Amino acid sequence: MIRTRAFSTHLRGVGFVLPLLLVMLAAYVWPLWQTLLNALHPNTPQGIDTAHWTAANFAHLSDPLYLQVLTRTLRISVIVSAIAGLAAYPIALRLTRMTPRWQPWVILAFVSPFLINTVVKSFGWSLLLRANGLVNTALQALHITDMPLRLMLNETGVIIALVPGHFMFVLLPLWGAIAAIDPNLGWAAGTLGARRWQVFRHVVLPLTWPALVTGLVINFIMNMTAFAAPAILGGARTLVVSVLAYQVNLEQLNWPLGSAIAVALLAFTLALVGVGQRLAVRR
Amino acid sequence: MSLRVDGLHKRFGAVTAVRGVDLDVPSGTFFTLLGPSGCGKTTILRAVAGIYAPDQGRVLLDGEDITARPIHARNIGLVFQNHALFPHMTAFDNIAFGLRMRGVSRAERRARVAEALALVRLEGLGSRMPAQLSGGQQQRVALARALVVRPKLLLLDEPLSNLDARLRDELRVDLRALQHRLGVTTVLVTHDIEEAFVLSDRIAVLRAGQIDQVGVPRELYRMPVNRFVAGFVGPVNEIALTTVTALDGVVWGTTENGGRLRLPNEAAAMSGGAAWLIVRPEHISLAPDPVANRIDAVVEDLVYAGAATRCRLRAGGLSLAAQLDGEASGLTIGAKVTVGWRAEDGVVRQDD
Repeated sequence: MIRTRAFSTHLRGVGFVLPLLLVMLAAYVWPLWQTLLNALHPNTPQGIDTAHWTAANFAHLSDPLYLQVLTRTLRISVIVSAIAGLAAYPIALRLTRMTPRWQPWVILAFVSPFLINTVVKSFGWSLLLRANGLVNTALQALHITDMPLRLMLNETGVIIALVPGHFMFVLLPLWGAIAAIDPNLGWAAGTLGARRWQVFRHVVLPLTWPALVTGLVINFIMNMTAFAAPAILGGARTLVVSVLAYQVNLEQLNWPLGSAIAVALLAFTLALVGVGQRLAVRR
Repeated sequence: MSLRVDGLHKRFGAVTAVRGVDLDVPSGTFFTLLGPSGCGKTTILRAVAGIYAPDQGRVLLDGEDITARPIHARNIGLVFQNHALFPHMTAFDNIAFGLRMRGVSRAERRARVAEALALVRLEGLGSRMPAQLSGGQQQRVALARALVVRPKLLLLDEPLSNLDARLRDELRVDLRALQHRLGVTTVLVTHDIEEAFVLSDRIAVLRAGQIDQVGVPRELYRMPVNRFVAGFVGPVNEIALTTVTALDGVVWGTTENGGRLRLPNEAAAMSGGAAWLIVRPEHISLAPDPVANRIDAVVEDLVYAGAATRCRLRAGGLSLAAQLDGEASGLTIGAKVTVGWRAEDGVVRQDD
C-alpha cells in the first residue's frame, strides 16, 4: 500500500514537470541535436548530404577570416563586460544606500533597456549615434568637436549599445548581495580601524565577489550571442559570430558550415563560463 | 579612559531618538544604559562609537572632544547583539582584523590573537569559521576581536540578548571578571535588569530619549526617582493616595477607599497633595511587627517558586502582589491573612 502511494506521488511529480520537459525537448534539445548533426555532414548544391559524415566544416573554422570574427566578438564582449564590472560596484553601493522609496525606480531605470525589443533599441541608438544624429549634432553645437565622430558602423557603436542593454545582469545580483550584508559588519570593521576603502576591500568585496562573477558570466554570454545590436550598429565591417552564423545559414544557405559556427560559439562560450565560475569559487 | 557625553541630541526624520543626554563615566567603570526598547540607548552608544553623528552635543574621551572624529580613528571597541563576525574569515582572522588595520606585524598579530583567544577561553578554536561556532563562542570571538586592539573604551550593545539563559549567565560572569581584570572603561546597553545589576558599577535608566536616573543599582532599586524607574527595575505595588498628611512628625497617606497608611518620613515634603505609594512585593510580609502598616487580606492566588512564594492578595479595594519567604507557612488560596510592611520600605512619588 505504502509503496503504491509513494509511487503514485512520484508519478504525479513527474506529471507536473512533463509539459515543460516536452517543450524543452522539442524546442531546445532536438534543434540543438540537429544542429550538431548538420555540422557533421557535407554541404552539396542539392542541400545537406546526410549519407556522409565529415569534420571538414569544423576544420573550415580555422580560416583566418573566421578567427578574426571570433576575436572581434571576444574583444567586444570582454570590453562590454569589463565596463559593466567597473561600473557595477559604485552604482550598486549607491543604490543600496538610497531610501526604499527611490530604489525601485532606479532599478527600473537600469532594467528598462532590457524590456525594449533589441531591434527597436538598436534603431533608436542609430538615430542618436549616426553622423547627423543627436549626439554628433550636440557635440558640434557645443564646439567640442568640429567633425562628426564615427560612433556607429564600428565596434564602438556595438559597445555603446550593449553596455546599457546587458548591465542589469551584473547590477541586480550584485545589488542583492550588497543589500544582504549586515550593516553591523561595516560598523564593526570601522570601529576596528578600517577606513571606508578598507571596509570595501576586506568585507564588501570578498562577500559579494561570487555575485559579481555570476553577473559577469551572464553578461558575457549575452554579449557573445548578441545579434541585433552588432547587425544594425556594427555594419558590414564589424562582423561578429552570431551575424556570421546568420549569413552562412540564411544567405549562403550553407547549413552544415553555419551549424558548425553555431556549435563552436556555444562550446567556446561554455568553456569561458567554466573558467569564470572556477575563478569565483577560488576566492 | 573616562567618557563624557554633553547634551546629546539625535533625530531620525520626524523621530527624536535622543533628547539632551549627559553622561559621565569615570575611568575603569562599568556603566550601563538601561531602558526599554526604543528609549534611545543604542543611538547613544552608536554616537559614542562614531556610527552616527549627533545633531547636537559632544562626546569627550579623557577630556578630548572626539565628536567629529571618524569611526576608524576613535579606537573604541564595539560588540554587537548579533556578534557581527566577518562570515568569510576564521575566528583568528576576525580577531586579527583590527591589528591588521593598524599595521601590526604578522608575528605580533599571531601572539596577540592567541592571547585574546585565551582571554575568552577559546584556545584552539582560531581556525574555525564563525558558522562552525556556537552562539556563545561567536560572542566570545566578537569580544576578543574588540579587546585585542586595546581600545580606550569598550561598548557592548546587548551582547548577551541572543543567547539562551544558561549561556547568558555564564558569559555574564566571564564578562564581569574580564572587565575587572582589564580595567577597561565599559558602557553596556541592555533592557535586562538582572544583567545591568550584576555587571554595572553605575546605571543610567532611560526613557523616551532622556535619562530619568543615574545611580548604583541599590539606589535605583530602593530610591527610584519616579514610578517609571521603580517599575522598570523590579516588580512593584502602586497604591494611589488621594492626600498625604504630615501630623506630629508622622506622615500618613489616605487611599482611594479611605484607608490610612503610614508613609516614610521624607514623604512629608509632599503633604497636601496626591501621590503614589510604591511597595515592592518582597517587603510585604505575614505577621508584620506592630508599628508597620497592617492590612487584612484574602489570598487570591498562590505560586510556589522554590526560594519564595508569590501571592496575590485582595485587601479592600487594593490588589497587592507579595513575595513571601520560603514555604509561607502553609498558606492556601482563599485564606484570610494579616499582612503588612514597614513604613520606611515604602516609596512615595508624585506623578511623573
